[in-house]
Amino acid sequence: MSKTSLKTEPKSFSCKVISFGAWGDGFESWNELVELIEKKGATLKEGTSSSKGPKPEVIPANERRRSPLPVRLAVETSWQATQAANIDPKELTCVFVSGFGDTQLTDYMCKVLATESKELSPTKFHNSVHNAAAGYWTISTGCEKAANSVAGFQDSVSLTLMEAMIQCQQEKKPILLTFFDAPVSTVLTDIMGNGSSFSFSMIIAPDDTLYAGLKLNDKEVFLTAKVIAESSCWPDLVNVHSDIEDCYTNNPSARILSLVELLRGVGDKSRTFPMGQHSSLGLSIV
Amino acid sequence: MDIRLVDYESTTAAALDIIGLRKAIANQTSGLRPNDFPRSPLKTWIGRIPEVDDIQLGEWQSRNNALAALGLEQGTIKSTIDSLIKRFSATRIGVVMGSSTSSIDRTETAYSHLDSEGRLKPEYRQPQVHNPHAPSLFVAHYTGIKGPALTINTACSSSAKVFATGARWLNSGIVDAVLVGGVDTLCLSVLHGFDSLQLVSTEPCKPFDQHRDGINLGEAAGYAILMRPEDTATDLGVKLAGYGESSDAYHMSHPHPDGLGARLSMQQALDMSGVPAEMVGYINLHGTSSRANDLIEGQLIGNMFPRSTRCSSTKAWMGHTLGAAGITESLIAVEALRRGLMPGSMNLDQLDEHLDLTISAENIQGDLAHVMSNSFGFGGNNCTLLFSKAEQ
Repeated sequence: MSKTSLKTEPKSFSCKVISFGAWGDGFESWNELVELIEKKGATLKEGTSSSKGPKPEVIPANERRRSPLPVRLAVETSWQATQAANIDPKELTCVFVSGFGDTQLTDYMCKVLATESKELSPTKFHNSVHNAAAGYWTISTGCEKAANSVAGFQDSVSLTLMEAMIQCQQEKKPILLTFFDAPVSTVLTDIMGNGSSFSFSMIIAPDDTLYAGLKLNDKEVFLTAKVIAESSCWPDLVNVHSDIEDCYTNNPSARILSLVELLRGVGDKSRTFPMGQHSSLGLSIV
Repeated sequence: MDIRLVDYESTTAAALDIIGLRKAIANQTSGLRPNDFPRSPLKTWIGRIPEVDDIQLGEWQSRNNALAALGLEQGTIKSTIDSLIKRFSATRIGVVMGSSTSSIDRTETAYSHLDSEGRLKPEYRQPQVHNPHAPSLFVAHYTGIKGPALTINTACSSSAKVFATGARWLNSGIVDAVLVGGVDTLCLSVLHGFDSLQLVSTEPCKPFDQHRDGINLGEAAGYAILMRPEDTATDLGVKLAGYGESSDAYHMSHPHPDGLGARLSMQQALDMSGVPAEMVGYINLHGTSSRANDLIEGQLIGNMFPRSTRCSSTKAWMGHTLGAAGITESLIAVEALRRGLMPGSMNLDQLDEHLDLTISAENIQGDLAHVMSNSFGFGGNNCTLLFSKAEQ
C-alpha cells in the first residue's frame, strides 16, 4: 500500500484553554506566576517553602497528613484550576505527569530495602506508585472519570500536552492536565539535579458546542499543536526572574512556563518543544 | 472503533514467547516457583524469568530494560517494526509503554552499592534509567523508533491503558503505527511492598477459589503493534473494538466495595464497541487471587454478564505481572479469540461461595467473536479492553 500525500503533512489538533492553577517556590497562584512572567524585576514571594509545600484543602485532613509533597503540589494546582473554571472536578478526565517521580519515596524504599529487615510502611508503599497524585485527586474529589498518569522524563511537558490534547479531541471531553515535580532526593541529585517544587494545572476543552460556555476570562483561546519530525531544544524563556530560570532549566514540569509565555503573548507567537531526540511538538495560539 | 493488531509477543515465566505460552496454556503448565529472588527471604511463589539475569545493556542496564530487550527478541516483533520503519519512516511510528516499576530494580541495586560518601557509584549514574519514563526511552532506543514515545504508569492498569492511548494516536493521524507494550520486573520494592500490605500468598495463587489467600508476583514483557485498518494489507483478523478507563474514587490500595469503577470501565468498553454483554464470549479477569479483588470483580461479572460468558484468571501461569499484566492478559484473550481455546482458571478447586459466574479450572474449546480483559490498579485506576474478530 502506498503512502498518501495526506500523511506527509503533519496533522494539527487543537483545544480551547479554559483555566490554570500554579504553585511553586515563590508563587502560590496563577496570578502570582503571571506577575513573575510579565513584570521585569518582580521578586519572589517570601514565605513559601519547597520542603513544606501547599496544604490543599480538598484533601481530607487525615489523608493530607499522609500525602507526599508531590501529591499535595499536584492536587493544589488541580483544585485551583477547577475553581477558576467553576467546573465540578467530577466532570474532568485527568492526565497527571511528573518527570522524575517521587524520588523522596524512592529514596525511602531503597534505603529500607538495603537493610536486613526490608520492612516497608504499607502507606508509603501505596503512595510510591507514580499515579499517587491521580489517585489522591480522584479520591478527594469523587471523580470517577479516566485518570492517566504518564512520564516523559525531560520532555514530560511536551509529551503530556500532546497526549492530553489528542485525548480531548478524540474523546470530545474536557481534560485537566497537571505537571508537577518536587526536589530530588540527595542521592539521586547527582544525576537529576532539581531542587525546586513546581506544579501547574490547565483545563482544556474540545471545540464543541457542548462546551461553548467554557472560556478563559470570557475569551475563546485556542491552542493548536502539530507533531513535527525534527529534533529541537527547549526554547529560552523571554522575560523572567533568574530563580524561575533555574527552575525552568532543572525542573521538567517547569518547562510549561514557555507555554505560559505563549499564552500571555510574551515573545514569539509559536513555540517548538522537543519530544525525545527526533520529534517535536509545534504549538501556537489562535 | 477499529484498530488492528498486526503482530504481538509475550514473555513471561510461563514461556519466553507467545508460541510457548500457547503450549503452556494448552497443557496447563505454570511458570511459578518458590521465591528464589536474590536478597528476598519472603516465603511466597514468584513468576521469575531466569533468562533475564545474564543480559548486559551497558549504560541502559537494569533488570526491567533487560526484560524489555528479551521480549523484543522473541518471534517476529522486531522484524515487523523494521519493515514498518522502512515503509513509513521511523518518525511516523510511536511507542507507548506501560510499567509500574520502570527501572526501580536498578535504583535498589544502586542504593545497596553506594560509595563511602553515600553517593551513587559511577556505573549507576544512569539518569535515563532511574526515572519513570525509562521503559519507553529504552524501547525507542532499542528499536530505532523515532516518533513520540510516552510511558504510562498507572500501576496494574498501565499496559492496558497503552492500547487506549495507542488507538487515540492512530485515530488522530499523528503516527501510522504504534508499538504498545508493558514491562515490569520482580524487585524488592514490589515483593516487600505487597508483603507490607499482607497481600502475598505463601502458596501458588488460586484466583476466585474459596480458599485463596493472596497473590504471587511475577515479571513479564508484552508487545503489540497497532495500525489503522486501511493501512494493513494483512493483519491478524483482530481489532481493538473498545476501551474503558475509569477511577474508583475510593482508596489508594483497596478496590471500591461495590466495584463502582470496574463496572464503569467494563460498561464503557461495551458501549464504545457497540457489543452487548451477552455477545462477549470470554473475559480474562483481573483475578489477582486477593480476597477483595476476586470477590468484588466476580460479583460484578455475575451481575453484568450472562452465564454464557466464560471467565478466567490466568495469573496462576505467571503470577501478577503488575504493569505488564494488562498487555499479557489482553494477548491471552486475543489468543483465545483467534484459536477458540479459552484458558481455565488454573488452581481453582472450589469457587468462592459468594460468586456465581461461569468459571472452571479446565480449558474450554469454543468459537468466540468478542473477548474482554480487565486490569485494575492502585489508586483505583481501571481499564477494560474489548477485542473482536475483524475481516482481514
